Amino acid sequence: MLQFKLVLLGDSSVGKSSIVHRFVKDSFDEFRESTIGAAFLSQTVKLEKHQDVTIKFEIWDTAGQERYKSLAPMYYRNANAALVVYDVTQPDSLVKAQSWVEELKHKVGDQDLVICLVGNKLDLCETDASARQVDVEDAQAYSKEQKLLFHEVSAKTGAGVGQIFQEIGEHVYERKTAESAASAAAQSRKTLNVELQRPSTNDSTSCCA
Amino acid sequence: MKGPEGDALDSFTVSQISDENKMRSNSGFPVQNDEEELIYDFQAFVTQLRDPRADPVLRYTRSFLNNFTTKRDMWTCEEQQKLVDDFKVFVYDKLTLYEPFKSLDSAKLKNAQEGIEKLIMGKLYNQCFSPCVEQRFQGKIDPSHHQDLKRDEKLRLRREEYAFIDPGLLEIPNSLTHRLHKFTRLSGKELSRINEYKAPRDKMVCVLNACRVLFGFLKHSGLENGGADAFIPVLVYTVLKSDVRSLISNLNYIERFRYSEFLHGESAYYLSSTQGAADFVANLGRESLHITDEAAFQAQYAKHQEYVKNERAGASGNADASAAKTNTVATSTPAPASTPAPSEYIRRPLDEATSAILSKVSELFASTTQASEAPDEQSDSKTQLPQPDEDADTTALAQELQEQENHRVLEELHVMFPDMDQELIQDVCEAKKYRIGVCVDVLLTLSS
Repeated sequence: MLQFKLVLLGDSSVGKSSIVHRFVKDSFDEFRESTIGAAFLSQTVKLEKHQDVTIKFEIWDTAGQERYKSLAPMYYRNANAALVVYDVTQPDSLVKAQSWVEELKHKVGDQDLVICLVGNKLDLCETDASARQVDVEDAQAYSKEQKLLFHEVSAKTGAGVGQIFQEIGEHVYERKTAESAASAAAQSRKTLNVELQRPSTNDSTSCCA
Repeated sequence: MKGPEGDALDSFTVSQISDENKMRSNSGFPVQNDEEELIYDFQAFVTQLRDPRADPVLRYTRSFLNNFTTKRDMWTCEEQQKLVDDFKVFVYDKLTLYEPFKSLDSAKLKNAQEGIEKLIMGKLYNQCFSPCVEQRFQGKIDPSHHQDLKRDEKLRLRREEYAFIDPGLLEIPNSLTHRLHKFTRLSGKELSRINEYKAPRDKMVCVLNACRVLFGFLKHSGLENGGADAFIPVLVYTVLKSDVRSLISNLNYIERFRYSEFLHGESAYYLSSTQGAADFVANLGRESLHITDEAAFQAQYAKHQEYVKNERAGASGNADASAAKTNTVATSTPAPASTPAPSEYIRRPLDEATSAILSKVSELFASTTQASEAPDEQSDSKTQLPQPDEDADTTALAQELQEQENHRVLEELHVMFPDMDQELIQDVCEAKKYRIGVCVDVLLTLSS
């Protein structure tokens, strides 16, 4: 099974962990692994668009408090996807989310990373429309400009949560298969070279003799 | 340690895992975290290695160790990492070619791979673990190993400088402070056992145990779904308050020498988190703290620095006195307290068991075989196999040491839960196979 690393970023009040808990809780997984705690979770997803393809997300949570921001690079290195979460009732949290997007683009580069911007706490706007402080159009326009995936969800009701992981799953899977195809083509051209790359006594930095 | 930018340039980290979980559940192993639940039996591996049919594997390993230790006096850290990694890829492939490894099921094959890692890293520890490298080469070491030591020293100094801070300054919720100290102390104790093992896997298990204790505590405090927001501050607090020698060197050693395929998922997450927490503490300044009352903080800080100064004066006074005493016995300069001799890093009973087992095969590695000699099928090596009664001794020793270890866990838990019935604690320990994190979790549930 293909595994993908997904990192969760966002302010501590936006409910980023709740989104993942909702996702894991609503999913059926016959091989659920016991975990040490709720900061790392893994979950398999059956892709709707690709028949018979199941992938596994390894979900890395980060601390949202500003003072722990410096730890984030330890988490997003080698990530395949990032979920950058804000709260639709807190405009400041979008500003923070945008700074995460910038950092990711600067440090990781979007050719390596699928970034999804997620507005959480949609349920609060449904009961009271005035609670909404971030217009969906604005967030959408920003996402389009930055080439991000975008969703509004409610971790509380579960609305939209499954779709996030489906869409990210499709993107990382398609990237991976395109990449594998490209490298397979490259490999077949260099079969001979590959054979020579095995550790051998001729390699001065090898002790495999 | 590579910077995040450098790593980000690496290709996708997607790894193809076989239906590993499925296979394990079919073969009767619980589907659980790799590090913990897979039955790990070093003795079984050693027995397999002594099978005459395993001779090629043994000879490859011996040759590798010989080359590593004799080809060059000192490899750089990056070279070491590449050599060890290349060898594992190479020899793991050989395991699938030669009996008795060839016909093992996937779980037992994994055990053999673990065994190889433990074996070679046990032999190469003094050349690969930064404080030991420093000890050997007295300062003339390569940049990466040197960097580890510098960062460890930085961590030690910051820890000393900020040892006084209370949980609120790290944004740990007030609701936790009641029992925080007890649990971070236990977690710190588990973490400090990292210095008592040589194998990357064993060190990794110490990190996981420390994290598990913290999660047991968070769960009991109603923060089980708090994710990293709840966990990271408590982990940072643990690193700050505990006195784990050479923590950064240890974590980097795991990262470098744990086989990359074994270091994924949850293990990788908790290793990165602990590295992050150690970095955070090593770079701690007042701007990283949640200070609500500046004047009170200043006063506390000043008072603590005074205390540290006095402690240092006292300590160096003692050191001078003891140095004066030993001066007459003019031998090699005694190492400062912060850099103990390599042998001091290994004091654990369980590793003694390993050493005892290893000594049984040591003659297999003591050979003066030419480095260039390649293993071949018709080898007629006159390997001295240990006598059966020695085997029994080793098994008995391993058992005895395991019992000591169980006793230690039991004692720790008695201290943690003084109001709880002793027999109950013992029952829980037995049911949970003396795995401290799980035991803490159960006992917390029972005590609430």
